[in-house]
Amino acid sequence: MIVKRIKGISVSDGVAIGYARIVEKEHIHIETKKISKTAVNKELKRFHKDVEYVINELNTFIQDDSFSKENRDILTTHKMILQDPAFIKRVKELITQKLFSLEHAVSTYFTEVVNIFDAMENEYYSQRLTDFEDVAYRLLSHSMNKSKDVLAKLDDKSILIMKNITPSFVTKVFEKNIRGLCTEKGSKNSHSSIIARSMNLPMLVGISGLLENINEGEQIIVDGNNGEIIIFPSSDVLAEYKSIYLQESQKRKKLQKLINVKAITLDNKEITLMSNIELPEEIDQVIKNNSRGIGLFRTEFLFMDTEKLPTEEEQYKIYKKIAEKLAPEPVIIRTIDVGGDKLSSILNIVHEENPNLGFRGIRISLANIPIFRRQIRAILRANTKGNVKIMFPMISGVEEILQVKKIIEECKNELKKKKIAFCNDIEIGAMIEVPSAVITSDALAKECDFLSIGTNDLVQYLLAVDRDNESISFYYKSCHPSVLKAIKQTVDNAHAKGIKVAVCGEMASDIQFVKLLLGLGVDELSVSPGRILMTKNEIINCHVQNWAELAEELMELKTSDEIYERLNDSKNYE
Amino acid sequence: MIKKTIVIENKLGMHARPATMIVKIASKFRSEFRIIKGDMEINGKSIMGVMTLAAEYGSELELIADGVDEEYLIQEITELFASKFGEE
Repeated sequence: MIVKRIKGISVSDGVAIGYARIVEKEHIHIETKKISKTAVNKELKRFHKDVEYVINELNTFIQDDSFSKENRDILTTHKMILQDPAFIKRVKELITQKLFSLEHAVSTYFTEVVNIFDAMENEYYSQRLTDFEDVAYRLLSHSMNKSKDVLAKLDDKSILIMKNITPSFVTKVFEKNIRGLCTEKGSKNSHSSIIARSMNLPMLVGISGLLENINEGEQIIVDGNNGEIIIFPSSDVLAEYKSIYLQESQKRKKLQKLINVKAITLDNKEITLMSNIELPEEIDQVIKNNSRGIGLFRTEFLFMDTEKLPTEEEQYKIYKKIAEKLAPEPVIIRTIDVGGDKLSSILNIVHEENPNLGFRGIRISLANIPIFRRQIRAILRANTKGNVKIMFPMISGVEEILQVKKIIEECKNELKKKKIAFCNDIEIGAMIEVPSAVITSDALAKECDFLSIGTNDLVQYLLAVDRDNESISFYYKSCHPSVLKAIKQTVDNAHAKGIKVAVCGEMASDIQFVKLLLGLGVDELSVSPGRILMTKNEIINCHVQNWAELAEELMELKTSDEIYERLNDSKNYE
Repeated sequence: MIKKTIVIENKLGMHARPATMIVKIASKFRSEFRIIKGDMEINGKSIMGVMTLAAEYGSELELIADGVDEEYLIQEITELFASKFGEE
């Protein structure tokens, strides 16, 4: 066999070697045995429950922005098939009158439909058959507890191969200690991918032709570092990857030992090391990695790709659950932070010439006060343990903070009047990501309880570089002298007012910058749960005083290249 | 009861997406809704029904609504067909 490599999109780093376990292609065998008359009611109940379950499952896909509009339309059709009065009526009829089991009734119904479509000559309609087969499969496999069977065949040597995967299934298979995960569909920032990443589970998505090229039980390699899977690895290739895997797992084991170690530097400064999360499902990883709370809880997932805005009650429940689970550690909730374009479906936003300088972050909230107040009230109420803080994105100056504080007071009064319980004391913070916020950070520090630097946007706005624009992305330099000076200025201004500064952007989890940030005086770091331990490793090996001196030197350098070079030399600085 | 005859004007015919749109709209109303094509009559609130009609470009359909909000139902469905389901 010749070694075969197929490219995909890497979701998380790391190498996995294991045996392919393909899920989804299984054949379903239906028994045609009749049920007894007394079992009819039980069977009908099961039918309603299973249909409801599958509809819920479809809803999570339909709301998942990683799917194309087209795919979601198809899934909406699938959902409607399950809600179809004709379908429900016929299945019930088969169960009550012919005493068919649920599985038998469902498969009979779909066979009837398939026969009708089969007889059609129009090619488009015969293609619809796959839709019905998909729906039938989904429902039947749930009714027959197939997902349990699937889990049973997974073990700690498995690499799971699927067409696509739901976020809830990622959590389930992770518990089986599988080695890796590959899907034919999906994108880097789908909910499933975010969860796999926070678990450090090697995962590749968007691998075209995956299911056709892999056979059950074959030994395969998932290379998350280079974004490819390797089928039929030769003994040389296998040996090469085994050694990479060994190195990685030794590193992981070493890091695992840091779980209960405090994030204290060599010169005894304790750094608050927190997690960034995008989805409530990530919280298990936050706890597992013993992170000191959540430094950035993005709330966008509640607002995006939904036809209906989340109610105060819905938000309250989610925020409260997370806050209570992590208490007494802090949970910093950031209000909506997306570009207007992403919310256009619900907010009637018109096309913008320049969205990065346009309607986004706090500007959306301040232009949609009722939506904003709903979120603020939900956050105030969720603070039952007193560990919740609020953070506002895209603050450009004190005006917005004053406005926001006024709204918070109004919301408190409103809750008081309605006699709804909430915690009166809540710390508020501004994200520092707009250059004007850096320059006026002294004034902001006076009005806030903490500041949090979002390095991705700060670099983008300081250097006026859109890093997704390939023709200029090389101008995006995280250690441009201006970036270091901006961070230092923010830290100095905050410390002068006695408040702390966190960094929650990508720089905080980029190993080469961690010590530098501490040298610049940053008090708190917030990184993705999967990167907590490696960041902690940097912290405990950092002598802040030495790095403060180095940081001063670096800020005197004139170009990013010189700074990079000096940073690389400094690896042995301590 | 209101009856109305329409002709399918979108090139792709009434495939899954238009069928979904029809059922979504029809289901908002309380009136009964049936569609007749040739000698086939189906429930317009059933996605399977609408899809099994296999109505192609140029086929003629009779829409029948019966109930308290029949006028509005027919009006919205007619508008949907006229918009060619936003395809062209």
